[in-house]
Amino acid sequence: MSGRSAAGFRPGLVERLFRRLQGKPPLVVPPMPPRGPLSLYPPVDSWDHWEEYDAAAWPRRVKRTYTLVPTACFNCEAACGLLAYVDKETGRIRRFEGNPLHPGSRGRNCAKGPATINQIDDPERILHPLRRAGRRGEERWERVSWDEALDDIAGRIRKALKEGRHNEIMYHVGRPGHERYIERVLKSWGIDGHNSHTNVCSASARLGYQLWTGSDRPSPDHANARLILLLSSHLETGHYFNPHAQRIMEGKMRGARLVVIDPRLSNTASMADDWLPSRPGSEAALLLAMARVILEEDLLDRRFVERWVNWRQCLRAEHPGDPETFDGFLIRIRERYAAFTPEMAEAESGVPAADIVRIAREIARAGSAFAAHIWRGAASGNLGGWQVARALQFLSVLVGAVGTPGGTSPAAWNKFSPKLFAEPPAQTFWNELLFPREYPLGHYEMSFLLPHFLLEGRGRLDVYFTRVYNPVWTNPDGFTWIEALSDESKVGCHVALTPTWSETALYADYVLPMGHAGERHDIQSQETHAGVWFSFRQPVLRAAAERAGRKTTFTHETNPGEVWEEDEFWIELSWRIDPDGSLGVRRWFESPYRPGAKVTVEEYYRWIFENAVPGLPEAAQALGMTPLEYMRRFGAFEVRRGVYALHESPVPSDQLEGAEADPATGVVRRAGTAIGVLVDGVARRGFDTPSRKLEIHSAMMKDWKWPELAMPGYTRSHVHHETIDPSRGELLLLPTFRLPTMIHTRSGNAKWLNEISHRNPVLIHTSDAARLAVRTGDLVRVTTEIGFFVNRVYVTEGIRPGVVACSHHMGRWRTSEKGGSRWAAALVSIQRSPEGVWRMRHQSGIEPFDSDDPDSSRIWWREPGVHQNITFPVHPDPVSGMHCWHQKVRVERARPDDRYGDIEVDTRRSMEVYRRWLAMARPAPGPAGLRRPLWLARPVRPAPETFKVPEDAASPDT
Amino acid sequence: MNYGFVIDNRKCIGCHACTVACKAEHDVPLGVNRTWVKYVEKGSFPDTRRLFSVLRCNHCEDAPCVTICPVTALFTRQDGIVDFDPNRCIGCKACMQACPYDALYIDPRTHTAAKCNFCAHRVEVGLEPPCAVVCPEHAIIAGDLDDPSTEIARLVQIERTTVRKPEKGTRPKVFYIEGERAALVPGETDTEEAYVWSQGREPGVEPRAPAPGAPGRLDDRSWARVQSVMGSKAASARRTYDAGQTHRDSWGWKVSAYLWTKSVAAGCLMLAPFLWGWGNPPYEARLRMAALALSLIFLAATGVLLVGDLKRPGRFLWVLTRPQWRSWLTRGSYILLGFGAAAAGLAAAEWLGLPRLWNLLAAPAVALGAAGAVYTAFLFWQAKGRDLWQSPLLPLHLLVQALTAGLAAMVLVKAALPAPLPLDAGGFLETWLWRALALDTALVLLELLAIHPTEDAARAARWALSGPRGAWLAGGALMAGRLAPMALLYLGHPAASAAAAALALAGLAAYEHLYVRAGQSVALS
Repeated sequence: MSGRSAAGFRPGLVERLFRRLQGKPPLVVPPMPPRGPLSLYPPVDSWDHWEEYDAAAWPRRVKRTYTLVPTACFNCEAACGLLAYVDKETGRIRRFEGNPLHPGSRGRNCAKGPATINQIDDPERILHPLRRAGRRGEERWERVSWDEALDDIAGRIRKALKEGRHNEIMYHVGRPGHERYIERVLKSWGIDGHNSHTNVCSASARLGYQLWTGSDRPSPDHANARLILLLSSHLETGHYFNPHAQRIMEGKMRGARLVVIDPRLSNTASMADDWLPSRPGSEAALLLAMARVILEEDLLDRRFVERWVNWRQCLRAEHPGDPETFDGFLIRIRERYAAFTPEMAEAESGVPAADIVRIAREIARAGSAFAAHIWRGAASGNLGGWQVARALQFLSVLVGAVGTPGGTSPAAWNKFSPKLFAEPPAQTFWNELLFPREYPLGHYEMSFLLPHFLLEGRGRLDVYFTRVYNPVWTNPDGFTWIEALSDESKVGCHVALTPTWSETALYADYVLPMGHAGERHDIQSQETHAGVWFSFRQPVLRAAAERAGRKTTFTHETNPGEVWEEDEFWIELSWRIDPDGSLGVRRWFESPYRPGAKVTVEEYYRWIFENAVPGLPEAAQALGMTPLEYMRRFGAFEVRRGVYALHESPVPSDQLEGAEADPATGVVRRAGTAIGVLVDGVARRGFDTPSRKLEIHSAMMKDWKWPELAMPGYTRSHVHHETIDPSRGELLLLPTFRLPTMIHTRSGNAKWLNEISHRNPVLIHTSDAARLAVRTGDLVRVTTEIGFFVNRVYVTEGIRPGVVACSHHMGRWRTSEKGGSRWAAALVSIQRSPEGVWRMRHQSGIEPFDSDDPDSSRIWWREPGVHQNITFPVHPDPVSGMHCWHQKVRVERARPDDRYGDIEVDTRRSMEVYRRWLAMARPAPGPAGLRRPLWLARPVRPAPETFKVPEDAASPDT
Repeated sequence: MNYGFVIDNRKCIGCHACTVACKAEHDVPLGVNRTWVKYVEKGSFPDTRRLFSVLRCNHCEDAPCVTICPVTALFTRQDGIVDFDPNRCIGCKACMQACPYDALYIDPRTHTAAKCNFCAHRVEVGLEPPCAVVCPEHAIIAGDLDDPSTEIARLVQIERTTVRKPEKGTRPKVFYIEGERAALVPGETDTEEAYVWSQGREPGVEPRAPAPGAPGRLDDRSWARVQSVMGSKAASARRTYDAGQTHRDSWGWKVSAYLWTKSVAAGCLMLAPFLWGWGNPPYEARLRMAALALSLIFLAATGVLLVGDLKRPGRFLWVLTRPQWRSWLTRGSYILLGFGAAAAGLAAAEWLGLPRLWNLLAAPAVALGAAGAVYTAFLFWQAKGRDLWQSPLLPLHLLVQALTAGLAAMVLVKAALPAPLPLDAGGFLETWLWRALALDTALVLLELLAIHPTEDAARAARWALSGPRGAWLAGGALMAGRLAPMALLYLGHPAASAAAAALALAGLAAYEHLYVRAGQSVALS
């Protein structure tokens, strides 16, 4: 027995003797198979039939056979590749690993990828369509058939369309997970009804980037950078965690330095060479001080800035008398930022001036290989947070790190956007519940103000779809959402399309179960690096069935229960809205291959793969496959790699025919549309801004009533440190940060993720804790402008003094034993006092429960965390429309009657705060009587004529 | 071929993907982990850093779990993987005591031991373990350490690596690049009631009730205390996240009770020949008979406790029929088997009046009694995870404890018999009980108060000496259980002697329990 045995143990003499005595056959020890080096994935040519040993039976060697089907993760937005192991015998998905052929995720995943199987096997998931049977929110449900649900909803929509009530139909999405699918559906209905989550997420960062580059997102090339500056926590979360985390560390291992600006010691900050824990809200000052160092010390890339920044326009607008010379511009710009001394930035941010100067010089040394990224964080937390993104991009521009290897490109360069088989015309409606006049520059829909608009009487909704969206929980001021959603005169019919229970679904009329990753079709593309790819999310059991020769017509045939996929739902619903074609809706859902017949989801994607992806038909043909077969087999396609310096590329000569260059600006236009800009006498593509250059000066800001913000600057945050007095128990609450294991409220049903992280104590610095006389584990009451929540504290040296932080994700709740995920949600009671004050109290924490999954009886954690967002009022940034998340709070030791998880909110105060912030806006119309600048992006863009504010309409009642 | 892992902390971002991928591969139940991530924070703001450590089975070259496993349920494969077979495991949890790395747990479904097995089932079809596959940063490198062309072999050669607890001599094969002491040495950080994102996992810990006291400020004294506690915490490394896999008390009261019943059984058996008259006038036959009967009864109880502590008691016979001879659990079982035979033989000789058989069996019986008392020391030494149990005094101490227990039992029997005994050689039993107690007391003090060879052994001893346990130890095990009986014996009154014997037995039980628990009080990871 001693020493090493073969593949298994070797039975000893006594055991052999006893076996013989018992008349049992001798144990046979299988020899170990000879092996070479191990590989990460089964070879692609064995994906149809992959044999491996059953882990549960091991060390008995029981063979199981799988068919391996690629799909894409649907937890965060990154759309990482997954490879589903479908057991050929049981027909079930055994597990998910990474898809090695995916250019973004390269076969690797974060914790949420393999946890997808929890979501699929969740015993609490919704398997059948449900219809409300009691009051809204009462949680009495009855099962209905899909036909009943579809006919009822379609009938309502048809009626609204026929009566011209187009603006009463709205689709509100949290995680889209697709490219342009819904845009086409909504356009086919002719409605302006697309609402999103963007303004509680990334609106400010988008505006900051948009102003510079005309593309609302950055695409940093981390892997090739010499210095990476993050105001985000991309080593643990973010837009796009896993793909970016891979490339950040790849860059770092090649010698790049990593600098992280964050008031909290995120895991990302902990990995950094320099952690700059600046005061929240001061980031723009910090970055502008770095810009000043680069300008003062003449460390900028003069050639790049001279060629690609709209400095002439800047001089003309801001200093009309000046001669138009680049040196003159530099003098002016140095003047402009002279006030941002390192000392001033230190006073604002708390970061030592010497560090600011040092990092600025390092950025300049990195030059064109300086990669930078902000997505949410400071941009989403602060009033004027978009200036942070703008100041960060300023640094990239100054050192010429735009579109370069190791630099930051506009996201549009690295994202694939498909053309679709028939594009309905733009709608001719403008829905002011989405784009109200107060926010002409909003990025984008004023989603989180929807209940306030409804309660103010700005409109009503007849059919309101929420899809993978949980505003009651995720958005600020959830009780106002509950008030609006509960009012049938404001919301006629609320349809929740969701794979899992959410707090919002509790206030629905229909809860319609939709598939998780691996249970639906989609294509998705993200700007993860300097390349272009897209991934094909597919229902894996359907794909497996087809591989096995079983033809399926609808995805729900292979999904569990009566779970549908959205794509088929929208086709089916649209068809029923217009069964005879008289509304002009139906024709957009007729097959491109079988005229007059209803399009199938397979035909929809087949058409894209055959007609809209450069290189795909050829790649498929080379393997003897159709493009659809290729995508079903490999799950992802790389359209381009090594995408750099697209702004330099000359405008193709065929496009130049009939084009004219503006003599003053050099912008090349064809039929009124800017297609490039003259640089060095050549018409080049440039950037998607009005000047086709990087805009240090935005004429739009000036024209749209914000002249003081025409150039990058520093806006004092609503939580500026001078407004907060820690000696009175006032602190700044940073409520936005995420954990690597969780994604909003969608991961609540993943048991393995919940096991790792299930509570969200208030992080507080040792000195602040001492001032409040609290220790780790003690309860505190955190009071906001509209109410309070009670949570424990966690005392740490990993946060800036004066700042407390509470993670997003946790604090889920349910109000009854039905409806809600018991893995993650506390049972609560909700009461509303006659004066309108809402109170929520935990009745029980997380408890083990019996289900088909024996693990549910092994739940060992009890704390569900505390819901904080519901105690926040809305803070719409007057320019970007972003909800400014940071809160000035009062933190005190819990009072005698306070219990863990207690929440109190006065929604009358919510409305007051809403009105106060609304009054800061500078409403449309802008130049030419427009609602919104024409060049600015807008999801599901309406027809140009609808951009004009109607002459007869009264200005909105604010 | 020799498989191992490198954990590259230059790249690990603490994302827990490995934890979840492992759960998915093996459908690991909630509450237990084959691999997990620990977070430790160091330094004061703003010079704070968080260290991530991926923890798991080390696939040791010299795996103590394999050595201690009584039934070959754990074994080292030719390719260096330490694998296990749940179908052979009897659930004795010895491996959990032997592993210094906290790698093993009892699977709640099968009630057998489980751990990371390098996904041997995947390795045999040519695939890497899924933790290595999933890792976004390629910070887990799995491969053959013997093949110089592999990435892992190159890394181990070129980079400075460290391993967990090299002093255990297990030659672990999980190598950490930039593995910091604060993160890899469990004793550097305290385990907590709750971690930042998760509740702690100490048994019975529920969310803490609100802090008592009125809202607002503390009085000055309390505030000063809070500040001093916080100040010292802030300065040292803190464990901020952990799976809480500390496996305290995997051996509970049944094991401490087994030590006690075994002491009584062994002590009685060792005494029996002396009562026959070795070097002394022979004793009353009833006393001899009682000694043998007690020995057999307590041996039976020992067996019941041992089997009862198994997570798979139905498989207890496998210790004998599928023995793994290096394990002292196996050896001990055979010793106890021989012990039982000797005791039964002596009893038969006594009953049937066969003096020649008596003479033949007496010496082996004493030897087997001593072996039965002492072998547990060797078993505890094989429990390499438990530093306190590595004491060189342990064999002697167990022998003394057995003699103490046997003598005390005999004194009690004597008191129960109608007095006066016709043959009572001048307080032989009482005298020797006094001496044994004195020696035992010295050994107890040495065990707990002597300079400990390792920090963890000292920590375990401190655990035993602190708080309510210290009171139990001092007041119960030492004062009431040892010093008081010695004083009572000094009185020489029969009733006092009987009380002394009863107290001594209780004192022995109390100490055993504390010792078994103290050994397991130190976190292994």
